[in-house]
Amino acid sequence: MFVSRSMTQKVITTGSEASVFDAYEKMSQNRIRHLPIIDADGRLIGIVTDRDIRSALPYSMIKDPARTAETEKVKDLKVKDIMTTDPKTIGPHHTIQDALVLIQELRVGALPVVDKEGKLKGILSVRDLLRAFINVLGFGQPGTLLCILVEEKVGQMKKIVDAITEEGISFGSVLVARYFEKDKRAVFPYLLTQNVARIKRKFKDMGYTLVDPMEWYLDELPKYEKE
Amino acid sequence: MRKTGFLYDERFLLHETGPYHPEVPERLTAIYQGIEEGGLLPKLVRIKANPAQRRWIETVHDSAYIDRFGDTCFSGKRVFDHPDNQMCADTYDAAFLAVGGILQTIDMVMEGEIDNAFCAVRPPGHHAERDHALGFCYFNNVAIAARYLQQKWEIEKIGIIDFDVHHGNGTQNIFDQDPTVFYYSIHEHPTFSFPGTGREFEFGSGPGYGYTKNNPVLPGQGDAEYTVLVEENLVKDFERFQPGFVLVSAGFDGHKDDDMSDVNLTTECYSWLMKRIMKIADRHCNGRIVSVLEGGYCLQRLPELARNHVAALLKE
Repeated sequence: MFVSRSMTQKVITTGSEASVFDAYEKMSQNRIRHLPIIDADGRLIGIVTDRDIRSALPYSMIKDPARTAETEKVKDLKVKDIMTTDPKTIGPHHTIQDALVLIQELRVGALPVVDKEGKLKGILSVRDLLRAFINVLGFGQPGTLLCILVEEKVGQMKKIVDAITEEGISFGSVLVARYFEKDKRAVFPYLLTQNVARIKRKFKDMGYTLVDPMEWYLDELPKYEKE
Repeated sequence: MRKTGFLYDERFLLHETGPYHPEVPERLTAIYQGIEEGGLLPKLVRIKANPAQRRWIETVHDSAYIDRFGDTCFSGKRVFDHPDNQMCADTYDAAFLAVGGILQTIDMVMEGEIDNAFCAVRPPGHHAERDHALGFCYFNNVAIAARYLQQKWEIEKIGIIDFDVHHGNGTQNIFDQDPTVFYYSIHEHPTFSFPGTGREFEFGSGPGYGYTKNNPVLPGQGDAEYTVLVEENLVKDFERFQPGFVLVSAGFDGHKDDDMSDVNLTTECYSWLMKRIMKIADRHCNGRIVSVLEGGYCLQRLPELARNHVAALLKE
């Protein structure tokens, strides 16, 4: 769950003296939207996004670089002229939860990852985060999702985990979420099996309610919060 | 009335999956019993299975995978590739018989001996990938059948209709880039149900883009959604594709009484579906259909579902 494990390590970078047009070409060739700018020692000094570049270059030039009149005007424009200096960063030992909160608060598409010396170690984009969460939720592997409604009290999860373990079924993940009914929790075990009929019957016999997944949705949560 | 073949071999019952497993030999006996008690057996052309030639299985599966399956089975191990895949010493042979029987059935259709057929085989196939077993499946029966039709009988375009309640990941992946095989699947939504693939936006890739169609159905939905989706997607897609042969991955586990899924189909909807598939095959490929059993675990419902399925093929 650490940034260092989920970030992109081979970062495409450039220096502050590079021309904006070269930076643009580098980004489009590598199909990236964030270009960290580093100094000779590999320290992060800024970042350029595809939006910065599109604002700096005339549209006609992005479309057709051969149009010399406009190319002349901007050819001396350098990365240092348009980059965001002192960009928001995150450390390799922060967690992906930290990154999730930070990216949401800052409304950015990616965070450069820098160590204590300020050296660039990687970049963590929204796409990297999505990959990490698909991994955490486990649904990259074949499995079946159950939804069990439980009273909000200690020890419920143990019973559920024990029952599943007794069946010899492996877990892809377990998610616990608020339920719109007060004092209830919805537990979502993602089970790495097709063979769920027996465990479902077992939960019913144990007195649990298996919720029709359609009755549980994140849209239900605000209702609970408003009450 | 059509001449309908019925592949059923008692050696399919020898594949044992151990205690607490839903994919049991009793599924097949329930199917047989339903067809027998419906008085349909005398109307069917009975087919017994011979083992498949390995070269046909190799049109879909890696040779090393087939070896690994055999070695695991004969070494006495009871699980192959995933805890779901329980097996016994007879599993490997049963899997060869299932494929072999289906290929014989195809020969009979192509030679005009029968019009169509239902193959009540075990083990099932549509989760099996090129190089690994999954979801009770070892050899991808229907995928091998499609390759056989193309290579032996030179049928160019094969349409596969998979109405098992689980997505046929194996079949989809095998033909992912292949524009000569159209894979249509209707199944419980992958967020809730095994194997977690078959999302609406999976259309195939490369030259095969547009030759895969998935219709995920949400838990609790049933007949109403199926009838609309089939008319709007399957019927139109096959109108465009014009298959030369229709293969069906027939799974009856979307029935409301089948506890392997939360889809609520009625017995009547299954009958409607097969009749609709018959019309599609009549329109595009002279009614040439081979339907192959996949899932369906409710032993109380399988007799009537199989009987109605065969009655639709017979077009009584």
